[in-house]
Amino acid sequence: MLKLNNVEVTYLNVIRVLHGVSLSVPDGAIVALLGANGAGKSTTLKAISGLLRIEEGQVTDGSIEWDGERIDKKGAEAVGKMGIVQALEGRRVFEHLQTEENLMVGAFNRHDNYIKQDLEMVYEYFPRLKALRRNIAGYLSGGEQQMLVIGRAMMAKPNLMMLDEPSLGLAPLMVEEIYSIIKRFNTDQKTSVLLVEQNVRVALSIATNGYVMENGRVVLDGTADFLSNNEDVKEFYMGLSAMGTKKSYREVKHYKRRKRWL
Amino acid sequence: MDQLLQLTISGLAVGMVYALIGLGFVLIWKSSSVANLALGQIVLLSSWFTYGMLVQLNLPTLLGFLLVIIFALALGWVIERIALRPLIGQPILSLIAVTLGVGYFFEGLVTFVWPANSAALPRIFPTKPVQVGSAVISQEYIWIAGISLVIFLLLTAFFRYHRLGVAMRASADDQMAVQACGIPVTKVFSMSWMFSCTVAAVGGVLLSSIGMIAHGLVATGLKSFSVVILGGMDSFGGAMIAGPIIGLAESIGGGYLSAYVSGVTDIIPFVIIIIVMMIKPYGLFGETRIERI
Ligand SMILES: Nc1ncnc2c1ncn2[C@@H]1O[C@H](COP(=O)(O)OP(=O)(O)OP(=O)(O)O)[C@@H](O)[C@H]1O
Ligand SMILES: [Mg+2]
Repeated sequence: MLKLNNVEVTYLNVIRVLHGVSLSVPDGAIVALLGANGAGKSTTLKAISGLLRIEEGQVTDGSIEWDGERIDKKGAEAVGKMGIVQALEGRRVFEHLQTEENLMVGAFNRHDNYIKQDLEMVYEYFPRLKALRRNIAGYLSGGEQQMLVIGRAMMAKPNLMMLDEPSLGLAPLMVEEIYSIIKRFNTDQKTSVLLVEQNVRVALSIATNGYVMENGRVVLDGTADFLSNNEDVKEFYMGLSAMGTKKSYREVKHYKRRKRWL
Repeated sequence: MDQLLQLTISGLAVGMVYALIGLGFVLIWKSSSVANLALGQIVLLSSWFTYGMLVQLNLPTLLGFLLVIIFALALGWVIERIALRPLIGQPILSLIAVTLGVGYFFEGLVTFVWPANSAALPRIFPTKPVQVGSAVISQEYIWIAGISLVIFLLLTAFFRYHRLGVAMRASADDQMAVQACGIPVTKVFSMSWMFSCTVAAVGGVLLSSIGMIAHGLVATGLKSFSVVILGGMDSFGGAMIAGPIIGLAESIGGGYLSAYVSGVTDIIPFVIIIIVMMIKPYGLFGETRIERI
C-alpha cells in the first residue's frame, strides 16, 4: 500500500510545485491521477520513485510511505529495489538497444531465476514485441515503443507500477489495446498501478478510483464511477479531450524537456 | 618486399594496441558522453607504474601485472569518484575540462616520481624471430596483437551479454530512464572509468614492452583519439578496424616517406581522419543519431 501524506515538493529550493498532496494506492488497485498540463502529476510520480533528486527537486514536507515504511528520503535505486517502478513520460526507450535488451534492463535489479519466464510473459502480453525482439528500439513505432516501456516496467516484477501518460500520442485503437493489457496485467499479477493520464475517459475505464490534481493540489477524488459522472470532470476533462483541441497542444508539447544528467 | 611485409605486420600490431587504448575512450564516451582527454597520460602513468613494479621492486612478472591491473582499476575508480562525480549535472564541457586537468596532473606526477626521461621494461614476450612469408619479424608483435584482440573480444561480449554491460549501453541512451529502472548510474560511470583505465594500462604495457617508456606515450593517447574518430566514437568494432588502418598508414607511410619528409609519421593519421570526416561525419562505424518524425 502506497500512501502520500501532505507531500510538498520544491524544485531548485525555490519553485514549489506540490502543495500538500495526499493520496493512496491500495494493494492490487489501479489508481488514476488526472489533471491538466503542469498540474504536478509527473512530479508526484517522481517524488515517489526517488527520481526527483536528479532534477534537483526535493520532498520538503509531508511523507511518502510504502507498506508503512518512509521512502521519501530514499534514492531511486533503493525505491526500485522495493519493487516500485516508474515508466517515464514520453516513451523513453533505449534507442540503440534491441527490444529484448531494453526489456532485460528492466530486470537489472532482479537476481531470481524467473527472469526468462517473465520475458516470455511480457511477450505473451505484447506478442508484437516478440516479433520485434531483435530490432533496434529507436526504430519501433510509437505504439510499439510505448509497449516496450510498459514491458520493461513489467520485467522488474514490480509491486507498484507507475505509468506516466501511456496513451500519449497514440491512435485510439492502440490506446485501447495497451489499456486492456495494463488491466489484464493488474488482474493476473496483482500488481498495483498508479496511472497518470490526460485521457480521462480511458483511464477511468480501468481504474478503481482516481484523483484530480490542479496546480499542485488534489482537488477531487473518488471512485472511478463517481469521477466519470462528476459534472466538473465531464466538462473540463472529458469535454476537452473529446473536442481534441487540447490534444494537439499536447502533442506539440511532447517535449524533449529532459535534463541530461551528465 | 620483405620490408613492406615487415612494416605491414608491425603496423597492424601496433595499430591493434592503439585500438585497445581507443576502447578506453569509447567506453567512457558510450556510457556518459564525456571525452576522456587524460587517456594518453593514463597510458604513461601506468607504464611507469609497471616499471616500478617489474624493475624497481623487481617483482615476478605475473605478480607485477596483477598489481598493475589493480592499480589501473583503482585509478579509474578514484578519477570518477574524486574528479568527475562532484560535477555530475554540470555542463559536459566542465567534465571534459576536468579530464584534461587530470591528465596534466598525472603528467606532473610522473615527472615527480620518475624523473628519468625514459626507461625500458624487461622483455615480456619471447623475442625469437619468426618467419612470416618472406619476412622475418619479432614474435612480440604477434603477442601484442593477440592480447589486444582477446581483450577486445572479451569487452565486446561483456557489453553485448552481461547485464551490467547492457545497462552501461542503456545509460548512454537515456540516463534518467536507466535510473527509473533502479540502476545506479554512478556505478555505471565508475565501472566505465575502471575499464577505461585498465585497457589504457594494458595498452601502455604492450607498447612499452616493444619500445621504451617515454613521454612519447602521451602521444599514443592522441593516436587513439584519431582511431576512435575514424572508427566512430561509440563503436568498439569501429575502433578495432580503424586502429590497424592508422597503424598501417603510420608504419608504411613513415617507413617509406620519412626519409624525404621528416615528421610525416605523425601527420598521417590526421590526414586520414580529415578525409574520412568529410565523407562520414560519425566515423566509419559510428552510431547515427536516431531521429524519428
Ligand atoms: N525540473 C524542474 N524544475 C523546475 N520546475 C519544474 C521541473 N519539472 C517540472 N517543473 C514544474 O512543475 C510543474 C508541474 O510539472 P509536472 O511535469 O509535474 O506536470 P504534469 O502534471 O506532469 O504536466 P503534463 O501533463 O504536462 O506532463 C510545472 O509547472 C513545471 O513547470
Ligand atoms: Mg507529466
